[in-house]
Amino acid sequence: MANESTLIHDEAATPESLADPAWIRIRDLIYQVSGIYQAENKFYLLVGRATRRMKVVGARTPREYLDCLTSRPNRDAEMRNLLNEITIGETCLFRSMPQIEALRRVIIPAVAEAKKKLSFTKLRFWSAGCSTGEESYTLAMLLMEETQGALKGWTFDVVATDLNDRSVAKAQEGVYNDYAVRNVPPEFMRKYFQKVGTEYRVTDDVKSHITFSRLNMLDDSKMLFMRGLDVIFCCNVLIYFDGKSKARTVQHFFNALLPNGYFFLGHSESLYGISEKFHLVHFPGATAYWKPAEGAAKAGTR
Amino acid sequence: MKTETLDRLRSKIVQIDAMPAIPVILRPLLRCLDQPVEDVDMNRIVELVSYDKSIAAQCIRMANSALFMRSSPADTVRGAVMSLGMWRVRDLLFSNSLSHVIPADRWVVDPVIFWKHSLGVALVCRKFAEMIDYPDPEKAYLAGLLHDIGMLVNCMVVPEEFRATLEKAAREQIPLDEAELATLGFTHCDTGRILAEAWKMPADIADAIELHHQIGDPDRGGPLVALVHLSDLLCRMRDLGYGYYEPRQIDFPNEPGWLYLSMKFPAMSGIDLARFTFALDEYAREVGDLVATVFAG
Repeated sequence: MANESTLIHDEAATPESLADPAWIRIRDLIYQVSGIYQAENKFYLLVGRATRRMKVVGARTPREYLDCLTSRPNRDAEMRNLLNEITIGETCLFRSMPQIEALRRVIIPAVAEAKKKLSFTKLRFWSAGCSTGEESYTLAMLLMEETQGALKGWTFDVVATDLNDRSVAKAQEGVYNDYAVRNVPPEFMRKYFQKVGTEYRVTDDVKSHITFSRLNMLDDSKMLFMRGLDVIFCCNVLIYFDGKSKARTVQHFFNALLPNGYFFLGHSESLYGISEKFHLVHFPGATAYWKPAEGAAKAGTR
Repeated sequence: MKTETLDRLRSKIVQIDAMPAIPVILRPLLRCLDQPVEDVDMNRIVELVSYDKSIAAQCIRMANSALFMRSSPADTVRGAVMSLGMWRVRDLLFSNSLSHVIPADRWVVDPVIFWKHSLGVALVCRKFAEMIDYPDPEKAYLAGLLHDIGMLVNCMVVPEEFRATLEKAAREQIPLDEAELATLGFTHCDTGRILAEAWKMPADIADAIELHHQIGDPDRGGPLVALVHLSDLLCRMRDLGYGYYEPRQIDFPNEPGWLYLSMKFPAMSGIDLARFTFALDEYAREVGDLVATVFAG
């Protein structure tokens, strides 16, 4: 699941190659299998990356490649390879500003207000499938800012888990290159990183809020122990699960969240067909799955 | 809004002769919209386009833009209309004719933001209407396009106060109608209603303009109000809003408008909201092209 943060050179997609109707079918198939949707204005990305796979498998046309994904014996493996291509390079710190803004401006204040009424002053976030730690550190830095500002006196921790031991070890190091920190706002760079040679190391202060560990999300006995969370991020991981495992894992996430908690997927990822308990809610430029409190008011908006 | 307050506002608008005039080509266009797209007479559309030199030039320019990938350049109005297709030409005609509703120096709202939002809502309304088998997607399009037209009346009638209201809304990151009520005592929904009546727009479009922020009793306005209300919210959540961040959470399936449409249209249950949301980002490009074409002319 670890995505290397390297600069991706996409194959150039010409207008003619984009027009092939087989791409629409490939796009729809990806959506059905993984919940990842490539809008037409991002089509060049899909085409560029699928073209790389086409070269590997020797498909000459999108139609032939569609056959590789639907009717050849190794179609599942090829779909996995394609999903890998599509999500590659998606890991960096401060990856999705609309998600971060939704957290800062709407979610954290709302969750804190509800908890305060119950005399709780601690927040708990989980980065599930944390890969090499970029998301976990982003969350910890955001929460540090909040607890130094509007939420003075509050504490928090971030739980970060991944299946891959090497990813967990790399995450614990917390050392990143220029490309991985390209979206980090300058004030965060100053406060939370130390430059080491050509790389950037996350400060120990930030690290002290995060617990990294190995976890297999398909291991029910382990998942049952995850409880009391306010926000869970699980980006581009469930796309690799089959329908049944996905539904079971999502149920675990639902149980792990406190009422009023939020579950985030990757920015173009959705819980296609398995979100009956969660409410899909919208924020400017971002969506999340919300676990409403029992008897939550269904107030309308204008 | 109370009838007497509305009457006072109406007489004020008429008194100072600030009511924007209906664009010349709008009526014939509306007649074209009254029929199914396959029955629309292409010659009539070409005629309407040719009527205004700047619109004709825009059509040709847009048909020759990279978006349409023509093998040879379109150099006649007919060629351009054929290449763009009926819908795009109508989108262009509408947005162009409406962009001249008030003089260029009277705009208080940013015209690019205003038209991007209006066209975005129009396109989303049409798509939404098609998805749920609402019988008249073109009317939904028009209602979406015109839903904020009252802002143009505000620009004419109370320019300075409206400027302050826009600034307040952006500064406090609150919905515009909330800021209007606080500073003006009326909203663009009220002035939009007055304009829609003066322009003799169909009653349900006038209702959609008046009620798109106040959908308290969905039965009053019917499905068109709900469609515009939801499309407006969707656009504001997908970068086609008023140009400032609105910190809020929207639970669409529990919105009164959504619940109302769900009772009236069985196809609502089949909507994949996540996918619909992602697909909205495709409109941003289309809307951007259209607005760029209109403003380049």
